[in-house]
This record gives sequence, structure tokens and C-alpha cells, in this order.
Amino acid sequence: MKVRVDAARCTGHGRCYDLAPEIFGEDEEGHCVLLVSEPAPEQLDDARRAADNCPERAIQLDAAG
Amino acid sequence: MSAPNPDPETRTVNLFDGELARCPQPVYQRMHAQCPVARAAMTNSPVISRYEDVIKGLRDPELFSSEMDMQMALGTERPMIPQQIDPPLQTRYRKLLDPHFSRKKMIELEPVIRADASALIDRFVDEGHCDFDPDFAIPLPCHAFLRLCGLPQEDLDLFLSLKNGIIRPQLETKSIDMEVNKKARVETGHRIYAYFEDVIDDRKKSPRDDLMTRLVQSEIDGHRLTRNDILDICFLLILAGLDTVTATLGCNIAYLAANPDQRRRISADPELIPNAVEELMRWETPVIAVPRVATRDVEIGGLEIEQGELVSFLIGAANLDEIEFPDAGAVDFDRERNRHLAFGSGPHRCLGSHLARMELRVAMEEWHRRIPDYAVEPGKAPRYSPGIREVMELPLVWPAP
Repeated sequence: MKVRVDAARCTGHGRCYDLAPEIFGEDEEGHCVLLVSEPAPEQLDDARRAADNCPERAIQLDAAG
Repeated sequence: MSAPNPDPETRTVNLFDGELARCPQPVYQRMHAQCPVARAAMTNSPVISRYEDVIKGLRDPELFSSEMDMQMALGTERPMIPQQIDPPLQTRYRKLLDPHFSRKKMIELEPVIRADASALIDRFVDEGHCDFDPDFAIPLPCHAFLRLCGLPQEDLDLFLSLKNGIIRPQLETKSIDMEVNKKARVETGHRIYAYFEDVIDDRKKSPRDDLMTRLVQSEIDGHRLTRNDILDICFLLILAGLDTVTATLGCNIAYLAANPDQRRRISADPELIPNAVEELMRWETPVIAVPRVATRDVEIGGLEIEQGELVSFLIGAANLDEIEFPDAGAVDFDRERNRHLAFGSGPHRCLGSHLARMELRVAMEEWHRRIPDYAVEPGKAPRYSPGIREVMELPLVWPAP
């Protein structure tokens, strides 16, 4: 599974780094910084929760291929 | 008999209706079923309710501008920054302001806000009752605002009167005359400008480690912010930062007081609080609508909107849309997917959202730690104000120790 962040959509709600701090960090302005682009199996639930709670729909999860 | 709200025959909705203030969710559900695009009673301005329509509008500042006619002004002489200006200029102000309102910065502020919340509770906890709005929900965000800006806590009462003078001038003038209140608003605006003029002068002379100093020293593209820029930012911080958190705290506690099973869950398991805060923001959405101006003729869901019309994007209704939120009518603290729009969407995402989330979490944690078992005083009912849904009367009782 791969995580992609569309930086142009992110406006800094910060739900991702609240819910999945191992996978997402924040820059100085509070916008999302992707820390782990290929999360470990045990991190997948957190990654999915972050994507599901982003009001800008800026986070995509793709099956690795 | 009064007209139903919304009225499906005329496709109008009354945004100042008592039910919409007190218990908006059924109104929103009827809007989704009967008229997801409507016009506001009296003003005739378009009202947009569907989640997808609302996010599309809020993410399209070229089509839906935030640059309001000054007739909407609340005692200001110029647009508030950055709320009432559009990208690309708005983006430059946000780049400058966002770092001062980041989650990181708010976590640094958390211990002192927690102490403020606890000190407020100290004043009434042993009495077994309080008026939640004046005793807790109003002063706490004002303390937080003063802490954030680096202003003296002794100015709390002054700020509360300035805030009321703008948002609810009738409380200060004791009059319902529109002209009297409009004049009071303008006068209060002058007092706010004058107060911050003095603060700016002081921080230029003697810089400190606070937000006001950072505003005085900060630059956009190599240019210092002008005095007016700083005043227009400060005006926004007062108008947007105080009432909204007050209203959210009142709505949250009123909900929990009326739903003891949910209240007991939170009191027993404080780790639920962050998710409960998100779900209650979705459910209550105290700031029900976000205004924009159409920059050209456009059609949404069959409603023809003309260039220049003021459009209300009803974020409260969007947050009750079944298409986005399965079982939207249930309050579920375990909801796993919650892309609510209580802080808006797009480039104008609430600048203070991280401050608000921190204040709400800390307030809910301290409140339930100290007063886990509370209810509305028997025989009384909470009273909600129209517009921003502040619970102006919320008498609470609990077993005194």
C-alpha cells in the first residue's frame, strides 16, 4: 500500500498528523508532510483513518503495484 | 400557524428560526429531503446545503469570493485579514499567519489554558451549580485569546465588552433600535482599533515573546505588515476567536447534559474526548453558515444564482448529509470517518482551528475530570441564540462535594 498526499489540496486541517503521527508530520505552516510513503501492515489502519478524516480529500491510498 | 421551515412550496428557509438555533438537525434533514438548494426568507439569498455542493463552493474562491460588500461590515473600516480577502493575496497572509496558529504552537499554549480552565472551575465547583455560559464558556476563550496575543489577563472584561459591542451590541446598548446598535458597533470598532494601535506602538518600542510582537516584526515579500494590516488581523482574531469557541462549548455541554449515557461514557473514558469533540462539531456546527459572493452567474442543483448575490453555504446542513455521513442523524463518538466542515474547507480553512480544537479538548477534559455528573437545572431549558448558536442560558447542577 502506498500513501500519496496532494499538497495542492492540503489546507492544514491537521487531522492526518493528529490521527496517524507515525505516518504524517507537519511543516511550519501546519500543512501535511508525508513521513512514511509505504506504511507497514500494522500502520495501515492509521493511514486509512487519516485519509478518511481529511476534509480536503488530499490523501490517497493506492495498492502497491 | 407559522410557515414550515424550510417551506418546500416556496423553497425558502428561515436561517434565524428558533428551531434552527435550538435543534437544527431535523431542519437540515428536511432541507436535504425537500430543498437542498433554497433561498433565505427575507433576504432571498441562495442557501446551499448538500455536502458536495458546499465543498465545491468553498474550494472555488474565483467563483465564490470572500470579498464582501462593506454593508456586511461589523464595525470594521476595511476588510478583515485574511477572512475577507481572496487568493492570491490571502495566500500570502496565510503563509505569514499559519505558523503562529499551528498545532505545534497551540500545544505549547496548552498547559496555561488548562490552568485557566481549572481556575474557572475552582470558582463554582463546590457550589454544585453554575451558569455555564458566563461562568465558563465565555471567559475561557477570552483568556486563551489574551494568552495567545500576549495581552494582560486584567483586560478580560474590556475584551468581553468589545466583543459584545460588535457581535451583540444590543447587550451593551440595552436597545433594539437598529440605528442605535449600528452606531454602537461603529464606536466599538473605533475602540478596538485604538486599543491595538497602542499595543502596536508598545511592541515596536519594547518587543516581547508574543504574537503581537511577531505581527509587528513580520514581513510579506520583504515588506513589513502595515499598521492597518495588523489592525485588520486583530479585528478578525476578536470576532472569530471568542464567540465561536464559546458557542461550541455551550452546544457540547448542553448536548451531553441532555444525553446522560453519552456524558457517562466521556466521564468514564476521557480518551474518547478528541473524537467526541469532532463528532459534536459535526452534529452541532455552531457556526451554521459561511457567506460568499458569486463572481458570475452560476447554477447549483437547479438554482440560478446571479453574479453579485450573497450565497450562504450551510456547513451545518452539509455536516448532516447522509451521502457523506452514513447514519448522519446519530451522534457516534466512535465514528471512524468524519470529514466534517465545521472549520470550513478550501483556502479559508479556519485559521484558529488548531487553537479551537485544543481549547475544546482541554475544556472538556478539565470539566469532566472535575464535574463528571451534571444536568440542566430541573425546570429550566437551555436557550440558544440565532445566528451563531451560543447557548446563552445553560444553568447546570451537580452533586456538590
